Amino acid sequence: MDDEDKVPLFGTWRRIYAAVVLCALASMGLIALFSHWDY
Amino acid sequence: MSSLDWAVLLVYLVAIVSFGVFMGRGNKKISDFFLAGREMRWWAVGLSVMATQISAITFVGTTGQAYTDGMRFLVVYFALPFAMVILCVTLVPFFYRAGVFTAYEYLEKRFDGRTRTLTSLLFLISRGLSVGVTLYAPSLVLSVILGWSEGATILLMAGTTIVYVIYGGNKSVIWTDVVQMTFIWFGIFLCVGIAVSHLPTGVGLRDALALAQTTGRLRIFDLSPSLTKPYTFWSGLIGGLFLMLSYFGCDQSQVQRYLSGSSLTQSRLALLFSAFLKVPMQFLILLTGILVFVFYHFQPPPLLWNPVALARFEREAPKNDVVRLEERYAKAVTERRVAAEAYLAAHRRSGSTGAEEYLGASREVDAARKEAAGIMGRLDGAVYRDTNYIFPTYIVTQLPRGLVGLVIAVIFAAAMSALSGELSALATASMVDFYRRFVRTEGGDAQELLASRVLTGVWGGFACLVALEAGRLGSAIEVVNKFGSYFYGSILGVFGLAVLTPTASARGAFYGLIVGVATVVAVATLTPIHFLWYNVVGVVTVFAVGLAITALARPRT
Repeated sequence: MDDEDKVPLFGTWRRIYAAVVLCALASMGLIALFSHWDY
Repeated sequence: MSSLDWAVLLVYLVAIVSFGVFMGRGNKKISDFFLAGREMRWWAVGLSVMATQISAITFVGTTGQAYTDGMRFLVVYFALPFAMVILCVTLVPFFYRAGVFTAYEYLEKRFDGRTRTLTSLLFLISRGLSVGVTLYAPSLVLSVILGWSEGATILLMAGTTIVYVIYGGNKSVIWTDVVQMTFIWFGIFLCVGIAVSHLPTGVGLRDALALAQTTGRLRIFDLSPSLTKPYTFWSGLIGGLFLMLSYFGCDQSQVQRYLSGSSLTQSRLALLFSAFLKVPMQFLILLTGILVFVFYHFQPPPLLWNPVALARFEREAPKNDVVRLEERYAKAVTERRVAAEAYLAAHRRSGSTGAEEYLGASREVDAARKEAAGIMGRLDGAVYRDTNYIFPTYIVTQLPRGLVGLVIAVIFAAAMSALSGELSALATASMVDFYRRFVRTEGGDAQELLASRVLTGVWGGFACLVALEAGRLGSAIEVVNKFGSYFYGSILGVFGLAVLTPTASARGAFYGLIVGVATVVAVATLTPIHFLWYNVVGVVTVFAVGLAITALARPRT
């Protein structure tokens, strides 16, 4: 079992986790905008 | 359903079973059968993780929930990406490097055999019962809406799934999940597109959202600190985080997905992949429900969504009540349509917020429905609920021929993908955590493979049996649904002790688990706290008790 595969795109796990967290926060922000937008 | 719809559904069923059997060839030992030979890529495992989580009742129930209650249910999924990151850092590397088949197997390596046995047993009991309900709930809805026999629907859904899971094991499960999840995504976009196209001339998407917003259905963020209120932002973020950690970290039906990755990197990427997609997917499903809600402003909705219940209401309720309520409802629906059109016209002109007339008409529609539901509840001797019937009714009555069959096939795909993963996980836990330890410790590959297939079949049969009997179990179904939530948090607490506290003892973990489950049952029974908080209670109790027992039992120096 190899767990030393190269981390794609982001290079390190720390960066990929940061990207997921930022993406999650951004989607919450967009949903808040959707929810409060004056249609 | 028309013959064209039947043909579409039949093509889907034949294609998916054939594909599952074809992709499941070549199993020689149980690591092939249960872990797909540990050779799956991240995108396949990631889609399988999502497919196992989404069930048919999620698909039809969530749209119905958006219709009746709005989109606030979305908060449950906000914490999912954070949970995935935490799992990738903590549990996933431990599981993967330990080379285990089940999550519970790891607990024997870290603690002892009895902790493994107890956690695996709790999984088998809760998941074994809930898999029957997973099957029963959509079968009931489809049989009522389509007029099919309930038993035949259950057997069709389960029978087709059991065939490819018995033959191909986890390899078949993952590959069919890939196809089914892609199909479900297609179905979600199709449903959103259809719902938008069904809005009447002159009513655009923005108008639809304005109406939904006026009724409070777009309100997602409720910052109330209440522990009893359902789906507040905090219960979603904190309670949801622990729920997702428990489900993806300790439930074998999910752990088995990512243990099938060809490397730890692939397993981690699979979880992160599903983390990216889950919130947008739930958003689109809920949005479909919102659009269906607006659609039924301009088309009269039925008084009760369950057609069998409606027929019984008309037959058995006092005649005066039936006539009066049907007249009241028809009048209220018409007035709501007129008020909605007037509100939208004023809103477009001046951004007016004068929605009192429209909201008053909406309340009258709800009140008439509530009264009918109350009468129905008295006839049934139980609370009448029909949220799960809204979306299937919309599909069957409003979609053109061919598309009805396609969307029903998507609902089948959601049911089968959840069922297949759960059956495979139940077979794995019973084989690896019990059969190989207590029944036949020295078996060859062929014998173990045969036993694994038999166990898959046994769990499939059990699921059918529970589903077929579920109608007679009545309120016991609710107990079964709650059952899993009693254990989840406590099991997560044991895994937390295992990986986060190097000093925690086996005795501390074992008794911590028992006290944790007892505490959650007490909280659930004696307090009105919302179920999303149960997992937090379980984790905190197991940690407190586990660490206390460890400290007390430590020899003094």
